[in-house]
Amino acid sequence: MIQKKVCMLGAFAVGKTSLVQKFVRSVFSEKYHTTLGVKVDQKSITVAGQDLSLMIWDIHGEDEFQKVRASYLRGASGCLLVVDGTRGTTLNTAVSLGQLTEEMVGKVPRVLVINKSDLRQDWEIDKEALTKLTSQGWTVLESSAKTGEGVQEAFTVLAGQLLSR
Amino acid sequence: MIEKVLADLLAALDIVILERLDVTGTFRVIGTRPAWVAHFVSESDASDQCVRPAESFPFLSNFLEEAEGKWARKHAIPSRSGAWSEVTSAGEEYHFEATAVSTHDNDLLLIQRLGSEYLEWHTILQKARERNLQHRRETVEHVQTEARLGGMLDESEKIRDDLLSILNQLSLATVMTDVDGTVTFLSDAAQHLLDSGTTEVAGRSWYESCPFSKSERLALRTMANRAASERSKVQVHLSTTAHRRYAIDIDVQDDPRNPQRKIFFLYDTTEIHDLRRLLKEQGQFFDLVGQSGSMHKVFERVREVAGVDATVLIAGETGTGKELVARAIHASSPRAQHPFIAVNCAGLTESLLGSQLFGHKRGAFTGATEDHRGFFEAAQGGTIFLDEIGDMPMTTQANLLRVLQEKEITRLGESKPRRVDARILAATNQRLSEQVTAGKFRADLLYRIRVARIDLPPLRTRREDIPLLVTLFLGQAALTSGKTVEQVSTDAMQRLLRYSWPGNVRELKSAIDFAVIHCPGNVIRVSDLPPELLSGDDPLPTDLSTLADERDRVLAALEKTEGNRAAAARLLGVSRATLYRRLTSLNIPAEP
Repeated sequence: MIQKKVCMLGAFAVGKTSLVQKFVRSVFSEKYHTTLGVKVDQKSITVAGQDLSLMIWDIHGEDEFQKVRASYLRGASGCLLVVDGTRGTTLNTAVSLGQLTEEMVGKVPRVLVINKSDLRQDWEIDKEALTKLTSQGWTVLESSAKTGEGVQEAFTVLAGQLLSR
Repeated sequence: MIEKVLADLLAALDIVILERLDVTGTFRVIGTRPAWVAHFVSESDASDQCVRPAESFPFLSNFLEEAEGKWARKHAIPSRSGAWSEVTSAGEEYHFEATAVSTHDNDLLLIQRLGSEYLEWHTILQKARERNLQHRRETVEHVQTEARLGGMLDESEKIRDDLLSILNQLSLATVMTDVDGTVTFLSDAAQHLLDSGTTEVAGRSWYESCPFSKSERLALRTMANRAASERSKVQVHLSTTAHRRYAIDIDVQDDPRNPQRKIFFLYDTTEIHDLRRLLKEQGQFFDLVGQSGSMHKVFERVREVAGVDATVLIAGETGTGKELVARAIHASSPRAQHPFIAVNCAGLTESLLGSQLFGHKRGAFTGATEDHRGFFEAAQGGTIFLDEIGDMPMTTQANLLRVLQEKEITRLGESKPRRVDARILAATNQRLSEQVTAGKFRADLLYRIRVARIDLPPLRTRREDIPLLVTLFLGQAALTSGKTVEQVSTDAMQRLLRYSWPGNVRELKSAIDFAVIHCPGNVIRVSDLPPELLSGDDPLPTDLSTLADERDRVLAALEKTEGNRAAAARLLGVSRATLYRRLTSLNIPAEP
């Protein structure tokens, strides 16, 4: 089976661990539990009839206390850049981490996920900004680790891009 | 010895040391392996001390690739993997960090389990981020609250502007004050009323800036200091620079948001005030009513003379309401609480009139069986009304002149004068100046009694008052007759309006009484009116009112009624008794 390393990247508390938990174990916790370092999970999926094992690297969120180590990105085949829709500044962090990924491993598939769609009424990221990112070549999806909306789709889309390379 | 120390040190640091055996990722455990290794390394691996860490810890796969290069170059500087976490099959979470080290002889991989220090750091970071998130939530809530409050403020201001606009549209005069009495708001209507274009009110103390009299300001302040339930409106009067006078009722209310702040509602009651005064005047004039300009002038004259104590001559045709005017003057004057004595000077002999007016002493003349107080004494402090003064005998005129000059009378049969204090009002339907010329009236008395003069207009010169008078008389007739006659037909009203009314208002009242008695329904028709109104547009061959001479008018009335004195009296608008007195005084034979 093909095995691919994908990295979960984004600012702290955007929901990276929650997305992985929802995707891998179908669980969600309201309690915020910050991630130190990296947690590696694995999940096999079938995309377009092809089985694929995803090694999901849930990398700690970036802020003034913790910067993502470039070494964590080594060997990554793709990444999910996660944004908290209710915190506009997390989009900047995701874009910045996307650039870091590109510097480290080149132009690998990446999907920008605007998480917390269950709080869409509080989103600070408007449609216009997302449209602009899409026009710049980003794959932009919306998700909610809480409700599960768009979670499977996000990983499946990324997996599809990994396989199409 | 040193080996023992190293073994203890590694155990204390919770580190496992792996020696690289080949490039396939196989390592050998050196020394004692910590207990946690068993959770991640299979039994078979554990038995021969050889392990493949990349299989146990997928996280290390990339790190080992990176470390291979350093080991190959015998790079002396240790390379660290960064922290990662692993969860055992029992759900227990472990945190590790790997370090690749190269010595002269060995390529080593050190895997350290991160302990309490790491967990402490984790706790600190967790708290820091939670605080960060909490702060952000509060900031967002603050911004949202600010936006909401801003919106509410905008809405409130809009509502306030709308209310102010409505307030101004309604012309509701409002003054709002702060707790210290400073005017914080003044509606357009209030500005207009307070004439604040010339007197600055807004921003100043209402007590000092509002153009009220001192007593009015004190009354307002007293009212404002009372409990809301005990307040009533305070009436003030304002004069603008344009010399316009306003009557204002001021209602003091507490501001619902702060009872210390007051709201003054100013109600322009000028019109109501004027109407009340008019109504009051109607009462003072008894049945003397009218909307015509000439009657308004009469009312005005009555008001003017009521306040002074001068003698007034009331001139007017018979039936115009001379006595009602006299009563109105008395009722409006400071003497209102004292007697009003009306005396008809016509038809009385000289001696009888003198006795009636000035009184007499017992035995003064035949039949004077006891002392008698005259009308002047009876009217002490009040008013004596001398009707038909033109018919007063000359001797009595002389005595009256003395009263006017000396303010004293002498009873018949007495020599000692008595002080009297009675205001004299006189009335006549004659032209006294002609009487003076004819030697029938004393000129000096005339000058004395006409210090003030009121001329009553005949009804034919104020026909616009006829409908109002008809309504009044219908109401009075309904009370006396018990019949409910409320209206006059258009034709009948036309007759009433066309008729010349020689007997003036008295004749009109008589005609309405007649019509009510004869009216079969509740609407007076032409056929219900007295016959003199039915004989044509101009009922008399000669308009009695146009006859200047009283004798001619009486004779014309008798001729018209073919000697019927009752009909003649009605035609003249006088009582039968008056007509008989006239006949006597004018030397007209009682029988035709």
